[in-house]
Parts: sequence; C-alpha cells; structure tokens
Amino acid sequence: MTGRLGSSLLWVYFVLMVAFLFLPLAILVLFAFNSGTTPTLPIEGFTTKWFTDAFSNTDLTSALVRSAAIGVLASVVATALGIMAAIGLNAKRVPGEPVAIGALLLPLVVPYISLAVGMLILLQALKFKNALWEIALGHAVIALPFALLVILPRLRSLDGSLNEAARDLGASDFAAFRLVTFPLLLPALLSSFIICFSTSFDEFAIASFLYPSGQPTYPVFLYGGARSPAILPQLIAIGTLVIVISLLIVGLSELGRRWAERRIEGRNSASVDVSSADNLATT
Amino acid sequence: MTDTNLNRRQFLGGALGVAAGASALAACGSPDSGSGTTSSAPSTAPSTSRPPIASEPGKMSLLEWAGYEAAGTKAQTAGMTVAGSDYIKKYGPDSVTYTYIENDDQALQKATASGGFDILHPCFENFQDYVDRDLVQPWDLNLIPSAADIDPGLLAKGTKDGKTYMLPWDWGYGSLTYRTDHVDAADATGWELAWNPKYAGRISLWGGASTNFEIAAIKAGIQDMDHLTDDQLETCKQDLIKQKPLNKFYWDSEYGQMQPAIKSGTVWIAYSWQDTLVSMKAAGVPVAYLDPSQGRIAWFCGFMLGKDTQNYYHAHEYIESFLNKAACAQMTNAYAYGTSNSMVTSADITDKALATSLHIDDLAALTSPSVHLQSWNPDRAKVLAAWQQVKAS
Amino acid sequence: MSRSTSRRIGGQGLWVWPPVVFVLVLVVVPLVYIGLFSVGLRSNIPGTKTAFDLSNWKDFLFGENNPFRNLFWHSLLITVLVSVAVTIAAYPLAYFLSFVARKNRYTLLLLVLAPFFTSFLLRVIAWQIILNENGVVNSFLWWAHLRPEGDSVTWLIYSNFSVALVLFYSWIPFVALPMFVVMENMDRRLLEAAEDLGASRLTSFLKVTLPLSIPGIIAGFVFVLIPTTGEFITPLLVGGPESQLFGNQINSFFNDSPDWNYGSVLAMTLILLVLILMLVFGRFLSADLRRPAAEVS
Repeated sequence: MTGRLGSSLLWVYFVLMVAFLFLPLAILVLFAFNSGTTPTLPIEGFTTKWFTDAFSNTDLTSALVRSAAIGVLASVVATALGIMAAIGLNAKRVPGEPVAIGALLLPLVVPYISLAVGMLILLQALKFKNALWEIALGHAVIALPFALLVILPRLRSLDGSLNEAARDLGASDFAAFRLVTFPLLLPALLSSFIICFSTSFDEFAIASFLYPSGQPTYPVFLYGGARSPAILPQLIAIGTLVIVISLLIVGLSELGRRWAERRIEGRNSASVDVSSADNLATT
Repeated sequence: MTDTNLNRRQFLGGALGVAAGASALAACGSPDSGSGTTSSAPSTAPSTSRPPIASEPGKMSLLEWAGYEAAGTKAQTAGMTVAGSDYIKKYGPDSVTYTYIENDDQALQKATASGGFDILHPCFENFQDYVDRDLVQPWDLNLIPSAADIDPGLLAKGTKDGKTYMLPWDWGYGSLTYRTDHVDAADATGWELAWNPKYAGRISLWGGASTNFEIAAIKAGIQDMDHLTDDQLETCKQDLIKQKPLNKFYWDSEYGQMQPAIKSGTVWIAYSWQDTLVSMKAAGVPVAYLDPSQGRIAWFCGFMLGKDTQNYYHAHEYIESFLNKAACAQMTNAYAYGTSNSMVTSADITDKALATSLHIDDLAALTSPSVHLQSWNPDRAKVLAAWQQVKAS
Repeated sequence: MSRSTSRRIGGQGLWVWPPVVFVLVLVVVPLVYIGLFSVGLRSNIPGTKTAFDLSNWKDFLFGENNPFRNLFWHSLLITVLVSVAVTIAAYPLAYFLSFVARKNRYTLLLLVLAPFFTSFLLRVIAWQIILNENGVVNSFLWWAHLRPEGDSVTWLIYSNFSVALVLFYSWIPFVALPMFVVMENMDRRLLEAAEDLGASRLTSFLKVTLPLSIPGIIAGFVFVLIPTTGEFITPLLVGGPESQLFGNQINSFFNDSPDWNYGSVLAMTLILLVLILMLVFGRFLSADLRRPAAEVS
C-alpha cells in the first residue's frame, strides 16, 4: 500500500520523531551525571554526587515522600471508586445512566487550573485550612476517569458465568466478587493504580494552591527549584530517576500485558477446542 | 475507546443534570459572604494557659525572603553566617522550613489564603494589612532581650495600640542595578532607564505589583506614590504596559533568576535591592546601583508572629537569634542593608565606602525626602487589579 | 464454553452512585462556586456585601479593549495553531505505525508513547535547560564557534516560540494514538480494492485512507485542543511576559490578587469554553471508533 519511497521517508520521519521525543529526556540524563554545576555544554566530567546530594536534601526527600503518600492515597480511592463505577455501569439497568456517565468522565475535560481555584475557594468558604489530604482527594477525582476507563473494559470482558457459578454454589454477591471477580480484575487494578499514581505524582495545579505552608509536594518543589541554580543539578538527578522508573514501568507493564494475553489466549484456545468438540458432538 | 457509548446527548444531559443539582445545593448555602481568613476569632491577649516551650511542636514554618534563612540551615547559601545560628545550633537545621516570598503582594495573599505560618517577614507597607486581617499576634518583648536595642522610632512604626506586631529588622533601598559595561552612563539618569527601548529584552523588573506602580508613579513625578488618584493610576498603568515588552522576564526569585541573569549578561538592567551590588562586586561583575533623579525607593521590613502559631516560645527564641547585635552587624556587612539594631554602628561595618554612599549607618536616610518610603496604600486593591490588566496586555 | 454477554458481573446499577457523588462534591460544587464568585454571590473578602452582580462579566465581555478578553483570544489562537501543528505532525507517525511498521507496530507505538508517560513538568524543565540563555543550544553554538561566546539567541526562551515548541513537543505522542486506532480499524480490503481497480498509491491514500481516518484526525485534534486551552505550566517555566496564556492570568489572579470575583469570571470562561468545545467535538471522542469498517462491510 505504501511504496518503497514512501516507506523509507516515513521510516526517516519516524526515527527523527522518536529522537525528538526522547531528546529532552536524554538531556536530563546527561546532565544528571555531569560534574559541572550548571547544565551547560561542554560536559565537564562524570559524577554521581548530584544523586547523593539530592538524597541528603531533606526538603527534596520530604517532598518526594509527600507526593508518594498522596499518590498512594489518591490511587487507592480512585481505583476503589473505579471498581464501584464499573460494577454499576455493567448492570443491565443503571438508574440515571447518562447523568452518571457524564459525571464520571467530567474530570477528563475540566481544565485543571479552573478546578484548582474552584477547590481553593470552596475550601476557604468551608474554613478548611490547606492540607495534604485535600490534595489527595483532588487527585483522586481527576484520576477516577482513568481508573474507570481501565477497569470497565476488563470487567466487561470477564466471563459472567464464572460469577454466576460461584453464586449458584452458595456464595454471597460480595463473596463472589471478592473470590472470583476481584482476582480476575487484578491486572486492570494494577494498571489503574499505576495510571492514577503517575497522574497524582505529576500534578501541579491543584497542589500549588492547596499545599500547606512549608509542605510542598514534589511538583511544587520542582517548580520552585527549577529557577534556583543551587539545587537544579539535584533536581535533574532525581528527575532522571523518576523518568527511568516511569519508562521501566511502561516497559514492564507492556511485557506483563503480553504475558497475560498469551496465557489467556492459551486458555481460550483450549476451551474453544472443548466447545467445538461439544458442537461436533451435538450436530 | 470503550463499550460505554457516551454520546453527546448523554454527556450533556449528565453534565447539566449534575450541575443543576449541585447549583441547588450550593445556592442553598448561607446568604452572606464566605470567609477568606483562616480564623475568625478576635485576637486575644497573651493567654496565661500557653503551653510551655517543651510541649511545643518545635518545627516552625516561616514566610521569609530568600537569603534570610537562618545560618546553619541548608537553604542559607547567600552569605548570612550569624543570624539564626544560635537557634539552629540549639534546635537543629531541620527545625525550620521556609516558604519564599516572591513579592509583598503575593506574600500577603499567601498568608491570607493558606495561613499556618509561625513567623512572617513582611514589610512596612503591608503592616496594616497583616494586622487588620488578623493574621498576626503581638510579640512579648520581655522574651526578646535584644528588642531593647531596636531603634525606638522604627519600633514605634511596628506598634499599634501599644502592642508590638512587627519587630523591624532590615531596611534599604529599591533601585535599578545595571551593567556598566553594557549600559551607557548617559542613559542611567533615572527610573526612565527601565523604559529605554535601546535595552529592550535586557531589562527585568520585579514581579511585585505595588512596587512597579510605585516606580511608575515616581517616574511620572507623582509626589505620593502610595496614594494615587484614579487618573494617576491609569497613567501608571499605561506606562507599565509600555514597559512590559522590554522585559526579558519579571523576576520572582532574586537568587534564582535576577542575580544569575545579571551575572551572565542576559539582563543588563534589573530592579533590585542594594545587596545585589555587593553580590555582583564580589563576583567581579561590573555594575552600578542607580541613584535616580527622582529618588530611590526605600523600605523597612520586620518579623511578625503568626496568629495561630503553636510555637510561641520557639518563635521568640528564633527572633532573638536574629536581633542580637552580632547577627545584625554581619547581615549589614553581607547585604549592605541597614539594621534596626541601634547598637550596630559604623565601626562594625567593614566596607566603609559602601556604607557612606548608601548611608546605611544612618537610619535618618530611611525617612529622608530624597527617597520614597514604601508605605501603606489604602487603595491597594485597585493597584493589584490594574497590575492584572498590565499582565494581560 | 462461550462468552455470554447477557451474564454481566455486578448488576447492581446503584454502585455507580457513590463515585458520581464523589465527582459531584469535588468537581461540580467547586465549579458552581466559581460561578457564584463570578456573579458576586460569594466573596473571599470577609465583610463584603454579596449580591448578584454582573459587572465583572460585563467588563470582561463588553468592556472596551478589555486586556483579559484580548488575552483570551490571543491564547485561543496560539492553542489552535499548536493543535493544528501537532495534528499534522502526528498523522504521518500514526500512518507509519499502522501501514508501514506492520509487524512491530505496537512496540513502536509504545516507544512513541513512552515519553508521554514520564513527568510533564520534568520535560518542560528539560526544554528550559535546552533553550536557556546558557542552555544546551546556546552553549553548543558557542563551543562550536558558530556564535561569539556569551551571545545567545534571545528568541529561543521566554518567547512565544518556546511556549509553542514545548506544547508541540508534549502532545504529539498523545495525538498519534486515536489516529492510530482509527487506522488500525480501517478495513484494509478497501485499499486492496482501490489498487485492484487501478488507483495509484497516492490516489488510494487521498481517496480511501485519508477520508476514513478523519474521525481519528479530529479526535486527535480535540485531544490536544481541550487540555491546551487551560495550559499554564509551560508559559510559567519557558514563557516571558509577552507569551503568557489565559490559564496564567487565572493563576495570577488567585495567587497575587484579592479580587477572586474577577478571577472567577476568567476561570468560568475557561470552563464554558471547554464545554462548548465538547459540544461541538464531543461526538468524535465518544463514537465507537470501529464503526467505519463495520459500516462498509
């Protein structure tokens, strides 16, 4: 369908594009190990001291811990709510379905800056002081659509007869869910957790307005430090770690997905043989 | 993306339905305005039931200018070596965290919106705002021995109804620092230097709304820069709109943006306080501190005690470690700022020439008619609104 | 054992409501509050008399030469231009993945998407380091003696160029995705048929592939347009005083100014803009992307 010239040009385009996309990441990695104190060329030498400096910078490490804690809390809440929403939407009859769907996907389109200031003025009106849990809840709500979009397809693809079989055998709805559905959902729950966590860990708008004095989250700290030459090398070092970890997670989840697919395909092909044998038997 | 066929009608229906329901909820609230302050209780006199220092949490959160971090903390890298060192030696370098003031207006906004600071370091022009908004409580001068050394005239300015809300600590000027190797001496006559199109893209004014309007007012020859009529405000606003494209950026961080930019030659003209002069000379960068024909801006700032602080006694100890003579003298030598401690004399100042040219050993310079002391502006809200318009233009 | 689509797991439709209430409280109520602030029914300044007051709205919408309104249009223009550029740049990428790199397309897609999954803030900071006065580009030019030492290219940073470039960079992977999905679902037999009928490669592309990929193109365009209208982080880090976007003004109002009523007018405008965009383009995001191929067969 595409000629040789077209293909070659597109290959070149692709390679250039990937290089362009990875360029900033490569730059960060480069300067994370550069011994010069400012990120300029030429490279001066190799060092790992920025990493050790970064980890002994308590302001930086506390910000990382804070963001991680918020991320975990937000992911747990968003994933739990995502499960509930998926179960609800999977029903035969959902009361108020259009409203429910609209509401659940709403956070995807709301501009984060408007939401952040909205939360700010609401919390002020309610006389709540800034707090980290408020940020976590804000992150949970913006991550909720992602959780739903990951969990619902997986739930839909599960074979309902397993669940029915469990209930036929006497299990309560909840036990059936806990022992049959939930384990089968685990890959989706893991994906949901990862997506929600990375959304929360990188979120700046809500955090910048709601963080309590002296307790910035990592993105807020990053933003403040980006213009400070003294700690910029440390931030680049930590940033490199964050990037490498994210890329690893992406790579691993892809490998995990392929592995899971192969397993499911294996099981399905076995069952297809059984059913086709059944069909043959009945005809 | 999924089987959930969300079509446009469903989405709209959903969003509208939810919005309608929520509006009903929200509108059924109380008819009066929401509160913007963190606490609505009236300020009480120092209570006798204050917990002793041993049972205070100890970890303090300060709203502070970059460069004023206590000596001994990791954040202090600008050259202050004595102020705060007593406190840090006793309580450890992690006992304080700093939230940085970007400018006076942003600091006031931050203190009002998020609150929770143990100590704040605002300047005289906002003194009344902090007191009126119930953000601070009075200091107990009996707990701060060095408070007795504060110049009485300055201390009086920080006192209201007999209570001391602000302990003045530092004072100085605001003007333009410029690179003598790039800026013609003939152009460096006054504040209009920041409007000179010859240096487009090489100028950096501060992000401080009030200060920029004061600069525009002084440049326009308006006598009282903190009491502008609506016409004068409009004139200043138009002037600042004209000046805006000449900036490389409005700086928010002195050590993070402004000083590195002057050092590297990215910026040739920047609004700054006189400490930049000291830093640049130390780095061997050829600069001068403009003495404008219209007169420099002057300011003094001081420590205020957070209304809801849990660290009452710690805070007083911290202040003592900043107010003692050694601390103040070293600060003056490091930054060329004046100090409120009257025990510090010209004998303590190492760079005599600098001291003389800036008159930092003479507190009378602060109120001399040749400078414009930043004071309270009753119409500050109008100035801030006008600044937003400048930013959007 | 066949899959029974009529046997659904759960089946308790009511379970959907706790999450919905969660969104109601945390998203809709704040947005409603913004609305209330914008018409003066609430205020952050204690002691203010609150009454329904459209003066801020009137000033913003109809005020002569209102700078915020001007900024809104300027910002929207930049947003649209960047979105168009991203869409054009992402299309060949999606086409490559779906039609050229047949065997490894999912791996290569992941390669393209991978940067998008790393921290957005870090990528913007990386660009600041690259474009800065003393940054990678300038210091390279000095080292290679292409420019005198210390003389930097000024328009690289704190300019409309830097903001546009970073926005362009950030969204390409994400925009390629819906295009790729649409192309994947395209019935390849149509293209074979076109070739069998004697069409040149270019003609089959123009008359078959391109038209069928339009839903993906529009979806991609909307994927970048909607989030970018509220963008403010990029200009904060790499933008100058003349290259701030509408989101920055909102940020500025709530950070530096006590006039949250006026700021809420701006915040509300952004929300309304997004709602309007969803009204116009929403169907392209939600339609079952498999439909083109299914309809043809």
